[in-house]
Amino acid sequence: MVEIGHFALVLAFALALVQSVLPLAGARSGNARMMATGGPVAITGFVMVALAFAVLTLSYARSDFSVVNVWENSHSLKPMLYKITGTWGNHEGSMLLWVLILTFFGALVALFGANLPATLRAGVISVQGWIGAAFLLFILATSNPFTRLTPAPIEGRDLNPVLQDIGLAIHPPLLYLGYVGFSVCFSFAVAALIDGRIDAAWARWVRPWTLAAWSFLTGGIAMGSYWAYYELGWGGFWFWDPVENASFMPWLAGTALLHSAIVMEKRSALKIWTLLLAILTFSLSLLGTFLVRSGVLTSVHAFATDPSRGIFILCILTIFIGGSLALFALRAPTLTAGGIFHPVSREGALVLNNLFLTTATATVLIGTLYPLVVEALSGDKISVGAPFFNLTFGPLMVPLLALVPFGPLLAWKRGDLLAVGQRLMAAFAGALLVVLVTALFVDGASVLAALGVGLAAWLVFGALTDLALKAGVGSVPVGTMLRRLAGLPLSVFGTTLAHLGLGLTTLGVVGVLSFESENILSMRPGDTAEIAGRALRFESIDPVKGPNYTEDRATFALLDEAGQPYASVVSAKRFYPVRQMPTTEAGIRTMGFSQLYISIGDQTADGALVVRIWWKPMVTLIWLGALVMMGGGAVSLFDRRLRVGAPARRRKAASGRPGEAAA
Amino acid sequence: MLFWFVAALLTVGASLAVLLPLARRGDDERAAESNDLEVYRDQLAELDRDAARGLIQPAEAEQARAEIARRILQADGRIAESTPKAPAGRMLPRIAATVAILAVPLVSWGIYAGIGSPGLPSQPLAERLAKNPADSTVDELVARAEAHLAANPSDGRGWDVLAPIYLRLGRYGEAVNAYRNAIRLDGASALRESGLGEATAGAAGGLVTEEARAAFARALELEPEQPKARYYLATALAQEGRTAEAKAAWQAMLAALPPNSPWHAATAQAIEQANSELAAAETPPAPGPTSEQVEAAADMSEEDRNAMIQTMVAGLDARLRENPQDPEGWARLLRSYVMLGDKQAASDALARGRQALGEDSDAARNLVALAGSLGLPATE
Repeated sequence: MVEIGHFALVLAFALALVQSVLPLAGARSGNARMMATGGPVAITGFVMVALAFAVLTLSYARSDFSVVNVWENSHSLKPMLYKITGTWGNHEGSMLLWVLILTFFGALVALFGANLPATLRAGVISVQGWIGAAFLLFILATSNPFTRLTPAPIEGRDLNPVLQDIGLAIHPPLLYLGYVGFSVCFSFAVAALIDGRIDAAWARWVRPWTLAAWSFLTGGIAMGSYWAYYELGWGGFWFWDPVENASFMPWLAGTALLHSAIVMEKRSALKIWTLLLAILTFSLSLLGTFLVRSGVLTSVHAFATDPSRGIFILCILTIFIGGSLALFALRAPTLTAGGIFHPVSREGALVLNNLFLTTATATVLIGTLYPLVVEALSGDKISVGAPFFNLTFGPLMVPLLALVPFGPLLAWKRGDLLAVGQRLMAAFAGALLVVLVTALFVDGASVLAALGVGLAAWLVFGALTDLALKAGVGSVPVGTMLRRLAGLPLSVFGTTLAHLGLGLTTLGVVGVLSFESENILSMRPGDTAEIAGRALRFESIDPVKGPNYTEDRATFALLDEAGQPYASVVSAKRFYPVRQMPTTEAGIRTMGFSQLYISIGDQTADGALVVRIWWKPMVTLIWLGALVMMGGGAVSLFDRRLRVGAPARRRKAASGRPGEAAA
Repeated sequence: MLFWFVAALLTVGASLAVLLPLARRGDDERAAESNDLEVYRDQLAELDRDAARGLIQPAEAEQARAEIARRILQADGRIAESTPKAPAGRMLPRIAATVAILAVPLVSWGIYAGIGSPGLPSQPLAERLAKNPADSTVDELVARAEAHLAANPSDGRGWDVLAPIYLRLGRYGEAVNAYRNAIRLDGASALRESGLGEATAGAAGGLVTEEARAAFARALELEPEQPKARYYLATALAQEGRTAEAKAAWQAMLAALPPNSPWHAATAQAIEQANSELAAAETPPAPGPTSEQVEAAADMSEEDRNAMIQTMVAGLDARLRENPQDPEGWARLLRSYVMLGDKQAASDALARGRQALGEDSDAARNLVALAGSLGLPATE
């Protein structure tokens, strides 16, 4: 059984090789049959990798310790969920998941790409094949998850306890769907460069893939942030850790790509820039993979490290980034310029957005790589931490956020800033009111905090203003307005939701940074503590035995004004004997959008317990906002215009195929 | 057999994915593409909808319409220009197709032959524990017994069976626990008490501690001639430096042993060792603790004794650094560190030992297996 998975993986590599060459050769020589191999080969390749992945998952579920990878990362006593998620909770398994998602996207292009010109489709599938072949070779040569062990040990070495969490079931798959999803944009860019035909239609064809990848990446990053927040026990939501940055950079570049592709689609302008962004976004994904997988960085994500793997990924990185940029340099001068536009216009606003976002990406890139370069050159270990990013990234984001509401209201080609300003008056007045209320009525609010809350409100009101104006609020009767609202293209709702979500996330960040309160004290059972006007009592601490860990579980009761308990919060310290590692299980209670966060430390000699209590106002908005953004991306994805592009004759011929129907 | 069948099936499936599209008859000359025209037509329709909804001013709409119309003209022109490319000869595509179809089975079987282990069946834990005990390895039997005892911790007989196996595997801590459970549940017997003593001594690195001595004494109360208890009590004397008394005890034991007892050889050897030690009292044997050290240890407090054991372990460690080709030594060092509770040092020793013995050598693999059975965490 295990060996069938192993063989399927090898077969997938052979298919990826064919996929790399045959369709592209067909496209270059005008041979339709060779081009037609792309679809079936990509789908079969995906089926093979999926089979290999299923077999590995089954080996984990059944604790088959004759597989080295299972023995190293699993334990027979682990709950079934963590046995399964453990499949990708290690280097080899996570690379297999990476390739699974890569081939999945290749198969999707094959299935839903009927509206693409045949040469472009064949090119895209071939470029996906190159990436797939490179990473399958990487897996087979340096990180084979199917390496066997004989005789098989009777017990495994367990999974890193920090990863034994529901977060592992969601965060990596979502993140990889985003990371790897951008490979399709990359393939589109490279295929178009090879093909030499880059026009407005290309931007429309690549848009759904960008949207899908961006939505998944947004969700993946948010989930990772929430996971770190509750699992690591420090209550922080973002640490500017190099690994976080590695996923954040493709997100920033991808956001820029999403916006510049709009200009290219509508006005046939910014072609060169959009192609470059498509290449850079995936290059940053590859860079992230390299940073995390090579052992250059040590973190919970690094798993076991091995220099040969690092060198291998570095080679892949160099070939793909260098090759695509060389191709870009070769072809870019032949592209014709598109439509011209006035600086104050929708295009102008989107260019400004791109300038801020790419500068922000560059800032994060420098902050992430600088310590590595310094260490490589001089051997000194330095760390570029939160202060650097707060000083550089923050000031870049504030003007960008302030400008966001203007963008969707400006007309194409030549906009009227004054008219847009007038239409945004209501939103501005609303935001100003929020600033005043915050400054006057919220205790301990600084001017900066009030302005921050106002900025968030400005984003939310601005996003709603756009929708209201497009529906015709105030100028048409209510009935007409509702009809117009329902008839608006889904992409309009997508924009509104995404900008609204951005506002909510901003509100959450400002809320936590400005109004958080913290209380560190040592408590004995029966002691009470105060935090942000709430009283809580330390009830007891009890030892509990879990399936593969032991924990000391502290129970706290929340007291109402009469001193009566009305809710309880449980916070624990766990110990996993197999790995000899402790973890903290923070006690969290959500009230409205805010959270009470309790983390316990060690017991002192006299029986008291060190307890850290935080009140985190509006903290959940950080992640809820990201979910709203993700929802915006999903809504846009279903806009009907993204499905157009197949010539009528072929559409009819293909209407019976399931892939078409689902598209 | 099943594996080969499935592998062949998968290969055929993968080859067909390449073969079928290539073998399809018909349109080698494809029609000029009009996909982008569709997009532009849709853009026009969208523009009309937006204009009707009032989302865009009429003048702007007119401009945009003109722009899209230009794109349509461009695309139309390109379609008219593009003559279908002459297929690049008949031979080249055929060669490419043949190579591609052959590549799938050749590459996959070639690579798999190099890296696969087709003969190795999968071994899910549940199946391994359920199969006929006669086919099981010792590890599997132990795991099975452990699973059984985890479910029925009051099965004294189970502990009784498991305890000597632990002892033989060198898992002394668990052996002590198992013997204690067996004694608690099924009562004391000379065999169990003497086993407990041996396990306790093993856990202390071979030193017959006060606790071990008490266990042996209890065994002798139940069965005065119990050879193991007698042997170890004599060893305790030797370790205290009372070599002459120890020799006398061994001699008395040897005289009382039944003729077919397995203890003859060990006891005779011990007596011989005692003789040579008496002859050359001033030259202590190198690896084990010297009699002075042991004597000193007997009077020490728990902490001091630990300190002394640590010094001895450090000595062993230093010796292995100079002379690393000593699998036995590495195993002892590993066990000692685990016993002292110093996981870090144990992992470190494991890594060094593996390196010294050669990553792929049998000795290194044994060491890793030992580490696993001692519950040593994975090294990263």
